[in-house]
Amino acid sequence: MNDYDVVVIGAGNGGLTSALALAKKGCRVLLLERHNVPGGCATSFVRGRFEFEVALHQLSGLGTQDSPGPLRSLLQRLGVLEKVEFVQMDNLFRMVLPGRLDILLKADREEITRALKDRFPAESAGIDRFFDLLYTFCTQLIFGVYGRDPELSRAKYPEFFTYAVKDCRTVMDMFFSDPILKMVVGSYWSYLGLPPDRLPFLDYAIMLFSYIELKPFHIKGGSQALSCALLDSFLEAGGHARLSCGASKILVSDGRVQGVLTEDGREIRTGHVVSNASTLTTYLDMMDRDSLPEGAMRSFSSRTVGTSAFTLYIGFDREPQDMGITDATTFIYLSDDYSRMHSLGRTLERPEWALFSCYDAADPEFSPAGCSQAALLTLQYADPWLSLPADCYAERKYAYAEHLLDMMDLVYPGCRGRIEELEVSTPLTHMRFLGHPGGAIYGFDQYAKDTNLFISPVSPIQGLFFAGAWAGAGGFQPTLVSGQAAARSVLKSLNR
Amino acid sequence: MKDYRQEIEGYEQIRREMETLEKYGMGFTAMRGNVARTIDSLHPSRLRLTVSEIRQETQTAKTIRLVSESGMLPSFQAGQYITLFVRIGETRTSRPYSLSSAPHQRGFYDITVRRAEPGFVSPFLLDKLQVGDAIESSSPAGSFIHNPLFHGDRLVFLAGGSGITPFMSMIREATDRGLHRSIHLVYGSRSMDDIIFLDELEDRAARHPRFRVTHVISEPAPWYTGRCGFISKELLEDILDDIPSLTFYLCGPGVMSAHCLRELHDLGVPRRKIRTEMFGPPAHVAADPDWPPHVDPGAVFRVSLGNGPTIPAVAGEPLMVSLEKAGLTVASSCRSGECSLCRTRLVSGTVFHPRSAKLRKSDIRFGYIHPCVAYPLEDLEIEI
Repeated sequence: MNDYDVVVIGAGNGGLTSALALAKKGCRVLLLERHNVPGGCATSFVRGRFEFEVALHQLSGLGTQDSPGPLRSLLQRLGVLEKVEFVQMDNLFRMVLPGRLDILLKADREEITRALKDRFPAESAGIDRFFDLLYTFCTQLIFGVYGRDPELSRAKYPEFFTYAVKDCRTVMDMFFSDPILKMVVGSYWSYLGLPPDRLPFLDYAIMLFSYIELKPFHIKGGSQALSCALLDSFLEAGGHARLSCGASKILVSDGRVQGVLTEDGREIRTGHVVSNASTLTTYLDMMDRDSLPEGAMRSFSSRTVGTSAFTLYIGFDREPQDMGITDATTFIYLSDDYSRMHSLGRTLERPEWALFSCYDAADPEFSPAGCSQAALLTLQYADPWLSLPADCYAERKYAYAEHLLDMMDLVYPGCRGRIEELEVSTPLTHMRFLGHPGGAIYGFDQYAKDTNLFISPVSPIQGLFFAGAWAGAGGFQPTLVSGQAAARSVLKSLNR
Repeated sequence: MKDYRQEIEGYEQIRREMETLEKYGMGFTAMRGNVARTIDSLHPSRLRLTVSEIRQETQTAKTIRLVSESGMLPSFQAGQYITLFVRIGETRTSRPYSLSSAPHQRGFYDITVRRAEPGFVSPFLLDKLQVGDAIESSSPAGSFIHNPLFHGDRLVFLAGGSGITPFMSMIREATDRGLHRSIHLVYGSRSMDDIIFLDELEDRAARHPRFRVTHVISEPAPWYTGRCGFISKELLEDILDDIPSLTFYLCGPGVMSAHCLRELHDLGVPRRKIRTEMFGPPAHVAADPDWPPHVDPGAVFRVSLGNGPTIPAVAGEPLMVSLEKAGLTVASSCRSGECSLCRTRLVSGTVFHPRSAKLRKSDIRFGYIHPCVAYPLEDLEIEI
């Protein structure tokens, strides 16, 4: 007799939604989490009078009550919607290339094309054609692929079949000539981790389309509020959770999951495990070498560990409007070459772009009265930090952070003198708290070959399933949804 | 059914690319154990230490020098603390101690312990611990550090009693390395005899023009001619120039911190220019103006632990202390309500948290407490 039907390892977004979905279906579920707080990336920490949001910038896929998106439907089904309050953001982002461009894009197709045509009048026709393509493509993706049209074919869905795995840059080149226009339209690349010349159009298009049609959101109380609500519902549904207790081993024999060994040495019998740890950690560090089936690691050889982030969490003793901040999301660029920007993320040289997210601009209650907070970040891989001697770490961390503050200064010069709290996290910080190789925040790099058109998350070990960025795509919506998918596979395997 | 994907333009090319990569790409098996090794080299969860030297600093304070059994001690920033794990009789407990040694040498860590009254751990460390004894600690942690990104380089340290310890690390670092930082230490002690590191502070001040010390003695001997009383607005105005350019750091007992905060506020120092180190749970929690008057701090309540035992807990004592007295351990580090390591689910009942407790909004909403500064106001059920 098994102790549990399913053990879920890790209470990140995917772990939480899978655990909850399974508990709601009557499964006996144990959720293990190394940390004392649920959420993984979707968490917060307190410094002084600020509770800092760690990871969420703009929640996608939620949609409004009248036209709900896939994420709203999922949270509704899971019964957590009434426990969490969402704040809609009116704008996609402000983007600034100092001295060259300062543009605000609202979360509305008409407004976006109008703003782009005002700034790039010579490209008007291309702008219209691009957004026509974007909408046609996404409609085909939604009806044809997501809707599992049995007649899915190139003849019926020509745009989808033509553009899906082309890189985003190639597609933009077909419609635009001004490199700065391409910068604006491709500005969200950092939410996926690779620059547009390496990003599949498929991923970028559906993200941009979702933000425009379903609007970006933030969560009252931050992403921690959602993580806590998911855990709360899980406990209400009869699930068992152990915080501050990770899994150390997945016990496998005859190619089947037999149980889990916890950090404190308890053996738990189960036939099913959903791992919210990285796939690499799961296979390499949580299983005995000889229980790994021959060739289990082969499919990983085509993949590369993705980017991490370098983030400054800043608390100001002023409200946003007193410092000239009116927009929640600002992309700051020092050059118009995002490929170069991405490459700089493999070094400790001065970064050339930053994202500045001021949550209080969307939700004035986010920080205490009279205060506000922002996350100022750039994407960076862990590699340069891994080769740094430990004694140089703090100094280099501050030196690198200075570059980001310089960028903030260019756009919001009133901020620097109002800092009351400031915490810096590097890729190594992410590695320590997430336990992921490279401190990767989105899992593997997401090239076209890494999308689910090419990669199947099915494990060669019976009873083992995955949830989270490493088994699909990164970001809040994909990881929350991944848990639901993992739960479905487990239920099928349990014949429920 | 035909696989639709083959019709996608470029699909075959990517498939071929993947085949090549699977043959010649990254062999991840070589990464086995890498993440744990990296984290462990920077921030091991436990340090096994040995007492290598004990130095009497004052009648009531000693410096305990700790070396690592493995030879390696993680790097830290001046001002950070380690949490010592001790077993006294049948009770396992822990206490945070700021490192007083400088971060640029890592052959040892120094902590400087002053006798607390009545005290539980400090008498053990001062009276029982011997050179050669083994002791475990956490890795250094904490955010009471000089952050060059916004603290500037004109610093004032306001220390009270054993609150000197994090400052000693910062002073040693800045003076030894000749950092471009001016530091004025204002150190409140009861008597001259109580001043920890008196000679070294005088010596460093004499040799380093950017480091100054002002002692403030609350119970001076008749012959004493220096500054007397407590650290006050008037005193600070008298000894400091250009106050708006300064960043103030406070470390000392709760009463001293609260007093200094009021004085700084009266001086017009904004909050962003003041860094305050936590200093354990409040000495007399029932004296907190928010404490509910109907609850006697001496009252004893029952705390049930789900399927586990039910234990007694005194209202005026941190819940964590009651748990430890009952032989239970909860992970802990700062023991001041900040680090959230002891975060615990409160199933039923109410507790009192002082305002200094740094709870997340969602913890308040969903019923999680920090037992290190949570005081039972009635019978409780918790989950550990």
